[in-house]
Amino acid sequence: MKRVVVTAIGMISPVGVGREASWSALIAGRSGIGPITRFDASSLPVRIGGEVDPFDEDAIRQRYPNIAKTHDRKVMLGLYAAEEAIADARLSPETLRDAILYVGVGLESIRLEDLTRHAAAEDLGLSLLAAKDEDGWIQTPLDFTASLLGRAYGFRRGRYTNCSACAAGTQVVGQAWEMLREGEANIALAGATDSMINPLGLGGFSLLQALSEENDHPQRACRPFDLSREGTVLGEGATFLVLETLEHAKTRGATPYAEILGYGSSLDAHAVSDPDPAGRGAVDSMRGALRSAKLTPADIDCVSAHGTGTPKNDAVETAAIKEVLGDRALQIPVHAIKSMTGHMIAASGAIESAAAALTVSRRVIPPTINLVEPDPACDLDYVPGTSREFTGRTVLSNSFGFGGQNATLVFGKSG
Amino acid sequence: MEVAITGIGLVSSLGDNPGDILSRIGRGETAIRPLPDPGGVSPCPGYAPILDFDAADFFPENKTLRMMSRDAQLAVVAARRAMENAKISQGELYRPEEIALYGATGLSGIAPREISRLVRGAAADDGSLDLERFGTVALRRTRPVLSFKILSNMPICYVSIFENIRGPNAIFTPWEGNAAQAIAAGIRAVRSGNVPCALVGGCDVKTHTLSIAGLDRLGVFESWLQSGEGTIPGEGAAFLVLENLDHAAARGAKIYARIRSVASRSIDDDESPEDAIAEIFDEITNRPACESIAPNLIVASADGEPRIARAETNAMKQSAFEQTGKIYPKLFLGNTFAAAAPINVALAAKSLHGRIERGSAIASCFGPGGELSAFLLESP
Repeated sequence: MKRVVVTAIGMISPVGVGREASWSALIAGRSGIGPITRFDASSLPVRIGGEVDPFDEDAIRQRYPNIAKTHDRKVMLGLYAAEEAIADARLSPETLRDAILYVGVGLESIRLEDLTRHAAAEDLGLSLLAAKDEDGWIQTPLDFTASLLGRAYGFRRGRYTNCSACAAGTQVVGQAWEMLREGEANIALAGATDSMINPLGLGGFSLLQALSEENDHPQRACRPFDLSREGTVLGEGATFLVLETLEHAKTRGATPYAEILGYGSSLDAHAVSDPDPAGRGAVDSMRGALRSAKLTPADIDCVSAHGTGTPKNDAVETAAIKEVLGDRALQIPVHAIKSMTGHMIAASGAIESAAAALTVSRRVIPPTINLVEPDPACDLDYVPGTSREFTGRTVLSNSFGFGGQNATLVFGKSG
Repeated sequence: MEVAITGIGLVSSLGDNPGDILSRIGRGETAIRPLPDPGGVSPCPGYAPILDFDAADFFPENKTLRMMSRDAQLAVVAARRAMENAKISQGELYRPEEIALYGATGLSGIAPREISRLVRGAAADDGSLDLERFGTVALRRTRPVLSFKILSNMPICYVSIFENIRGPNAIFTPWEGNAAQAIAAGIRAVRSGNVPCALVGGCDVKTHTLSIAGLDRLGVFESWLQSGEGTIPGEGAAFLVLENLDHAAARGAKIYARIRSVASRSIDDDESPEDAIAEIFDEITNRPACESIAPNLIVASADGEPRIARAETNAMKQSAFEQTGKIYPKLFLGNTFAAAAPINVALAAKSLHGRIERGSAIASCFGPGGELSAFLLESP
């Protein structure tokens, strides 16, 4: 089995446009949550979110003319982050041509305004079919980001689009790691992108009652592990990582941010809307990652939690971390950057993977903000309020998704 | 570590039994029928629906099933059939966490009737989007379960719940080539020893007007206008049980086929599709220990879309498969997109089952999106 390292990162998030801006904001404990500005959300029960602002969509559209038929925000965000990662890696076109591409995405983008003009029709589909003068896409295929990146750079070893909801961003990194480890390629670009900050996305999630409705205090609304937490806040963004075999990175003189040591994924097989209250899936996922890394609980020095701020997730995740790590769980920091970024759905696992790699390389743990009064059921050291020096070698990063999909990665200090 | 196919489960417009489907294809029977098209607006002349499918027939007591989208229902039924076919009862042979699940779903195929209420509620009198009405009228008329009918991962998550599968997993989307990647991921999981068993497959529903309109805007039916030939939308689901070959043999499992090699790649815009397809055909047949295998059958990916059909035919010529037997399931089942790859692999596997002489078959999988895969199977 080959060793695999992270040699480049591209990141765009509600807390910053670009890797360095995002990382600086995360370690400063700055919230990216605010009132929704991209559309009039005044009639919705939830009117706050983590928007990427400022973001120059036109610059992306000019570089990718094929993008014209879509308004899908996550495509633009994904292209920005992928390009930043590619630039950070300083890879040649030939190298990218033979690389693997893994893109994680969430919900398909359907613009309500493209449908409402056919609302009076008896059959919505027939009316859309009859509208021969309309040529915009009704739905943007979820592989569109991968397709555009493929056209621009190649990625002939396979362009994979993963739609595993909130676990997608972690799964894409883990699956690319598995393929590189087994020698199927030397290099991969893996990441995820998502934006649910649109009427259908925000409205749909509101119906599920998973979102905080604290519209008057947006920056305090997402409070993972706090006793008063009421729900998560939607965010948008994208993150891509360049993964290489250690051998390949050394040969071309690349300096790794971190090494990926292990990966596990599991299913709750419980319910599509709620986590298994026993946390079996979360436990299996973390144990799988430890097993593949050949590490014991004593080897884990920090946990980047899924930490959504929903009443159910945070307590179940805390119990699962304690079950897997035992006494070690009480000795190490466990932090949740969603307190600052909001829940970027498919993209969350990718930005948290990048943050874990940066924690390992830059020796700083971003805080969990808004944690004032810990829930008695959440009794770990969550790095409340301010960032902290990281003195260890490994970070375990969790993602748990709607539908019961779970994924965990372990990052270690390279070298 | 070798991988065997030990279970097949299908829901298709030509039936549910892979042997019968092969026979019906052999007799030239088709499930394709004229598309009801009152206004003459359809971009294609036919479709291939599964008639008389009612999920309640399979899980009569289960209310959840009735809350699921049709593609999820098809997936759950096909997955159950595959597990039963492999004689893997829940929790008996393998622990739930020892079974991996890799699946694929298509473009969101929500039915018009499921979203109409939301759309009507959000429309102003002039047909524009009225965000005030969206919040105050449309959302209040909408059942929360709608989100679970739109989320692309849900059909496969429902499979995990119904089959109590808790192992490694991933869900790919949205085309046939991506579904082939899901099958390849399952093969990798078993071959690497990560799990002894994987359930792999896909589902798709492209038979109602909204999903046909979605495909139309993406240009999937363009060739009908240009040449009078093209893709016919269909629907279906297929799942395969993969097991470590030694494990399967030791338990006396029915082994449809051994998976000898898999090749996948993406195609560049400036590349000839036939060269790319020929490259993966060559790759699977030139792998170590596969050089002497001459396939008896190719389950082809092409349908009526002329460019794709020409590319695959030319690739077969380049790879010296001109004399090999071929079947073209999509010409009879329609194009089932995310379900097409597992259907092709299932039919290739079934063609090998029960053979007296040693045989081999190739399942070819590609289509929109530019992802290509081929699987070389050999009789056990």
